[in-house]
Amino acid sequence: MVNSNLFPSIEATGGESSTESRRKKPRISETEAEIEARRINEESLKRWKTNRVQQIYASKLVEALRRVRQRSTNEPDKVVSVAAREIRETADRVLAASAKGTTRWSRAILASRVRAKLKKHKKAAKKSAGNCKSRKAAATETNRIKLPAVDRKLKFLGRLVPGCRKVSVPNLLDEATDYIAALEMQVRAMEALAELLTAAAPRTTLTGP
Amino acid sequence: MLEGLVSQESLSLNSMDMSVLERLKWVQQQQQQLQQVVSQSSNNSPELLHQILQFHGSNNDELLQGSFSQFQMIGSGFGPNYNMGYGPQHEAMDGCISRTSSCQMEPVDTMEVLLKNGTKEDRPISLKNKRKQEVKTREEENTEKKIKVEADTESSMKGKSNMRNREASSETSKETLKGVSEIPKLDYIHVRARRGQATDRHSLAERARREKISKKMKYLQDIVPGCNKVTGKAGMLDEIINYVQCLQRQVEFLSMKLAVLNPDLELAVEDVSVKQAYFTNVVGSSKHSIMVDVPLFPLDHQGSLDLSAINPNQTTSIEAPSASWESQSQSLYNTSSLGFQY
Repeated sequence: MVNSNLFPSIEATGGESSTESRRKKPRISETEAEIEARRINEESLKRWKTNRVQQIYASKLVEALRRVRQRSTNEPDKVVSVAAREIRETADRVLAASAKGTTRWSRAILASRVRAKLKKHKKAAKKSAGNCKSRKAAATETNRIKLPAVDRKLKFLGRLVPGCRKVSVPNLLDEATDYIAALEMQVRAMEALAELLTAAAPRTTLTGP
Repeated sequence: MLEGLVSQESLSLNSMDMSVLERLKWVQQQQQQLQQVVSQSSNNSPELLHQILQFHGSNNDELLQGSFSQFQMIGSGFGPNYNMGYGPQHEAMDGCISRTSSCQMEPVDTMEVLLKNGTKEDRPISLKNKRKQEVKTREEENTEKKIKVEADTESSMKGKSNMRNREASSETSKETLKGVSEIPKLDYIHVRARRGQATDRHSLAERARREKISKKMKYLQDIVPGCNKVTGKAGMLDEIINYVQCLQRQVEFLSMKLAVLNPDLELAVEDVSVKQAYFTNVVGSSKHSIMVDVPLFPLDHQGSLDLSAINPNQTTSIEAPSASWESQSQSLYNTSSLGFQY
């Protein structure tokens, strides 16, 4: 009787240690992800606000715009909207580049250019891509009645942030934080550049021939 | 008898500032009391005595041997079976001690279960756990943590005293203690069941997940303006989505503007001084609020270009945004006018 009281405890401890080791592995990866998430949250708010980052972005933006300008001088007839789209994409790419690949949306923006080029080639060969998309959309709408409001909004946010459609909720929120901070910086830089140019413009027109 | 023991323990352990030496003395006192108790009664069930042995044995090898000798002196009722039985038990206890701290909770469970007969529920649990804690912390040689850990266990035990689920409480106490004791080694996610809340594994994990998400929402709340007024995830998400869309629209608008102005880019940027002014302008404009739905048009600035009183050296100062604007535009005026006098 004495032994029977003892041995279950020993066996239990043996079992406990094995489950412990099993549980330790997911815990370790979780803590790493936690550290990563904390870094993104606390640093992203500050790193997009430093002057140095702004200067780097501004200079890179100027360079990129100049290159775009040189490329477009070959084709003088360009609609403003097309040029605007080009400039926006360039600006987004420069922004993603200055993120140095730590965030998911930046990697998605940089990768999307390659994907777009591939798709162009594919579209020239195939022209049924549009039909596939519409069929897919209809199917998903009929399958799902209605998701709860919060989930719908989270999905929508995932669509807004580039490359974050199938990302888990906490990661999505992290990416959104970084993306918002980066966008703010981008807006500030582009506004300043626009102001600079518009301030310079009337001088050129006035003092022209 | 046991109740008397227990009450004494509780009295002595009420203050959390007992040093290690004091505790050792107390343990020895217990041993002596135990001797008296054992010698008085001869009808103790073997299980109870066995527990007491375990209880003391887990703390100190010396104590164990001491109690061994005591039991050997006692009458024939226990006989040689005990010696045989205690052999493996001793090793087991050693094994338990040498293993990680969580193993030591096992004997506590059995003791809890067996000591429920006639004793109060709270005190034995809290006391046993305190003893276990004490051992653990002594092993880790961290006296500061001891107090904190004991406080944790005591509060957690008190919180669970309402619940009649012994196994659940022991499990969660294991979890919390594991989390606390392993903090120096690894950064564990320390989740504690609060008073009156479910303590099964799933709800704890869910609660941890929810807390993570709410933490991240708070970060977003800080960065998105106007989120403070709305409460609840749906409203905040609405604001966040709205803000992101607004920023993206602003970027598109500005890119269109730049597309129109692009021919002037090279002319304006070739001058180094203009570049400097541009950078300081960017820096200066960082202090502007960006919460504008419509970007400012610089029409009002053209009127100020004729100011000659401002020193061009002011371009490097970042104090007042408006001053830097005017100075920068004035420097532009100077340089561009120079440039076009060919």
